[in-house]
Amino acid sequence: MTPGWLLLGAAGCAVVAVSGARWAPRLWLVASLGAAAAALAASVWVLVTGEPWDGHLAFALGGEQVHLRLDGVGAFFLALLALVGGACTLYSQGYWKDDQHPVSAPSGRAWTSVLLVSMSLVLLVTNGLHFLVAWELFSVSSYFLITRERRLRDVRSAGWLFLAASHAGTLCLFAFFGGLAARTGSWELGPMHDHPELAPWFWLALCGFGLKAGVFPLHIWLPSAHANAPSHVSALMSGVAIKMGVFGLVRFSGWLPTPAAAGWVVAALGVASAVLGVAFALGQHDLKRLLAYHSVENIGIILIGLGFAIVSSAHGDETWGRLALAGALLHVWNHGLFKALLFLGAGSVLHSTGTRDMSRLGGLWRSMPWTAGMFALGAIAIVGLPPLNGFVSEWLVYLGLFGATSAHGPLAWAAVPAAILLGVTGALALACFVKVCGVVFLGVPRSEDAARARESGWLMRAPMLGLSVACVAIGLAPAFFWPPVARAASAWQPAWADSPVPAPLVALGRFHVALATVAALGAGGLWLRVRRTGVVRGLTWDCGYAAPTARMQYTAGSFAATITGWFSWILRPQRYAEPPTGAFPARARFDQRTPETILERVVQPAGAIVMRAAAGARKLQHGRIQAYILYVLIGVVGVALLAVIGRDR
Amino acid sequence: MSSVIHVVISVVGWLVFAPLIPGVINRVKAWVAGRKGPPLLQLYYDLARLWRKEVVLSTAVSPAHVAGPAVAFVSILGAALLLPIGQAGAPLSFEGDAVLFVYLLALARFCMAGAALDTGSAFEGMGAAREVSYAVLAEAAVITALLVLGVQTGSVSLTRMLAPAAGPGTALLAAGLFMVLLAENCRVPFDDPNTHLELTMVHEAMVLDHSGPPLAVILHGAALKLLVFCVLLTEAVVPLGNVSPVLVAATLIAAVLVTAAGVGLVESLQARVAFRRVPLLLTTAFLLCLFALMIAWERNPL
Repeated sequence: MTPGWLLLGAAGCAVVAVSGARWAPRLWLVASLGAAAAALAASVWVLVTGEPWDGHLAFALGGEQVHLRLDGVGAFFLALLALVGGACTLYSQGYWKDDQHPVSAPSGRAWTSVLLVSMSLVLLVTNGLHFLVAWELFSVSSYFLITRERRLRDVRSAGWLFLAASHAGTLCLFAFFGGLAARTGSWELGPMHDHPELAPWFWLALCGFGLKAGVFPLHIWLPSAHANAPSHVSALMSGVAIKMGVFGLVRFSGWLPTPAAAGWVVAALGVASAVLGVAFALGQHDLKRLLAYHSVENIGIILIGLGFAIVSSAHGDETWGRLALAGALLHVWNHGLFKALLFLGAGSVLHSTGTRDMSRLGGLWRSMPWTAGMFALGAIAIVGLPPLNGFVSEWLVYLGLFGATSAHGPLAWAAVPAAILLGVTGALALACFVKVCGVVFLGVPRSEDAARARESGWLMRAPMLGLSVACVAIGLAPAFFWPPVARAASAWQPAWADSPVPAPLVALGRFHVALATVAALGAGGLWLRVRRTGVVRGLTWDCGYAAPTARMQYTAGSFAATITGWFSWILRPQRYAEPPTGAFPARARFDQRTPETILERVVQPAGAIVMRAAAGARKLQHGRIQAYILYVLIGVVGVALLAVIGRDR
Repeated sequence: MSSVIHVVISVVGWLVFAPLIPGVINRVKAWVAGRKGPPLLQLYYDLARLWRKEVVLSTAVSPAHVAGPAVAFVSILGAALLLPIGQAGAPLSFEGDAVLFVYLLALARFCMAGAALDTGSAFEGMGAAREVSYAVLAEAAVITALLVLGVQTGSVSLTRMLAPAAGPGTALLAAGLFMVLLAENCRVPFDDPNTHLELTMVHEAMVLDHSGPPLAVILHGAALKLLVFCVLLTEAVVPLGNVSPVLVAATLIAAVLVTAAGVGLVESLQARVAFRRVPLLLTTAFLLCLFALMIAWERNPL
């Protein structure tokens, strides 16, 4: 079997899935999982053998022959898409059931299949026109999935914002592909290093793909869209869909001649996204919104690696550039896995308690031990702590940055702040996830809803378990996952082909295995010792106070207050306080909310100005036919004047 | 086989000597204050007693309350094994272990803060919040210090980074790392290990509800972390790469004792600063390391 047959099988399953989605949920599930398995097998095939697959189909679309191609970069992203897509389809059957959502569940299944197919096509097509078609289908199907609950006002506005932002991005891409086609004379895509005049077009690609990836400050659509979508859709969007933006950047920074500043700008955007993404995350009280901001952070980490790789590739100085690129690519996988895991975990919490507000949760480990355990695992992974996968990719990026500091001149000056701010990002993410795990899963329940929580069913737990296993596997055996990363890297930069597994990566893997083993033994041993010495149960110590209530626990807002204070220059938190007054204060209130500053302070005022200007222009349209005839006359005279003036030129 | 022996000897060495450092600090403090003070080996007695005591567990806690301290202890020990001792180097060493060192300490912090939040106590939440917030700035300083060593040696492995002398930037680097040592180990002026008011604690507040063997593990881990930072500071400042083992041992012991005495002196002569000034102090530590980095660059024009 070759990748072509596997992809054909995947396509067949996908057709069955799309057509059966509305009336046969079981058939849909089986067909979707089959398609995911076949696509995964095809991409593993390409990644293992290293031979790209080309498929010329016999028909044309829009006057262009359909040409599909699966190379290292595409297969790398397709593998993630297939794995996370499969997990999310399975999860959706436990999470968004037909009997609870009789209307939105069947159409949601259809749109999920369309989304997965359109994303696969984005990865496969090699024609600019077809890329745009697939891209548009991908955006539209995402919109319909985000707005599953469109009777809610928040969901509708999140959906509109997403649609507007993604079309602004698509507009950039139309100009980009149109420009490429005009310059090269063909819509066909491929390495274009023999056209150095194409370099400036990279900026359009950065804009278009950056909007999709959620790079700061183009991330304005991301938090509300990911928070308001059903959780399996959030997982798919955050784990895979925003990676399509990263795919575009990786693809076209590899194929196009890049401008000299490209690497620097990408790395700078990465640093800004990383630090500010996590700062905004710390200010959130909504569990899913918080996770959405962490996507901005992790995209930032990926772009730091990619940016330095671009710089290195331009300088021809390759050792540390390879490591930075490998870190960025591996982080694409890692973030896809642990972020999908975290969103599915958040969905499990939402499903069982009915709330995403962290100040109403707490103590869920007792009622939902599986969800709590796997969410904690995802948290350790996303913070980038050993021995899990997040650390491996961040470590590779660090190695790249440390290598760059010993290079010449400005490179070192850029690598130092990047390395320091990457460390700061890690520490901030740690603070944020200690807060999430502590407030949501530990302590005692803060509301009735949290107290009544029940563990989710196996349909929801199994996909989370699968993603957890993947996170642990990459963490404990990173050397095993090096070859696919190296394949993708060599597809990006052919000069970097055939890089062997770095020896430190093997050593790191061994260290991780030892650390995990000894830590498990240590925890078990201490627990046995505690059992032997005897346990007395008592109340938590509260300065001798004998009747503590759940509301006396530290809140998410208080936990993050110190750090959000440092970032208040950009977070602009809004406080609503009713301080206690009088000798016998009866009632006091304090609430703090972190808005999406860029949206509310920059984009919306700019939009308001445009709307005012438009309202001014509307005065011209008043319904008096005499005036309209005057407009026509002025118009005709104007055109005539232009014709007269322009005749001699 | 020899590497296994090396690891075992190192583990035993780190574990046995660690509880000595708080004893030295307490002796210095007692000497400055003119008190008799606790015995030098007090922490050993405490650990032995706590290990035998029964445990009071809050009704709110999850298994993370016991697992957290154990994992934190193991990760601090893992970080210690990455530090080189003399010519033999570190028991575990590879390119990039400097970054692993920082993240192992972060893993310990994650586990301790998680175990603290587990009790649902506002005090422990407060302590954990302070710990993770101040660590953000401390981490920036540590990464900068590692960059200094990396630029000087062109390596990201602690064994090679810590072998040569740090050069003219040494004084700045030492000052920066010493401040990080005080902050990371919750000593005055960042935190007071002897305070009795829960509201003002950082590290002590996080362990209010721990007792018995888990508390022993936490105290031993804290002592180990202090020793790790003392050794890191010493090796960043004193070139120990290519001298005879006896000299290395003597220098290391002397330098660690001097550092511990320094901590004791700071603790005796200085009051702790207000919480809102802690970030300023940590920023100072970061800037000291940054200046050391600039000097390192000036000296190593590549």
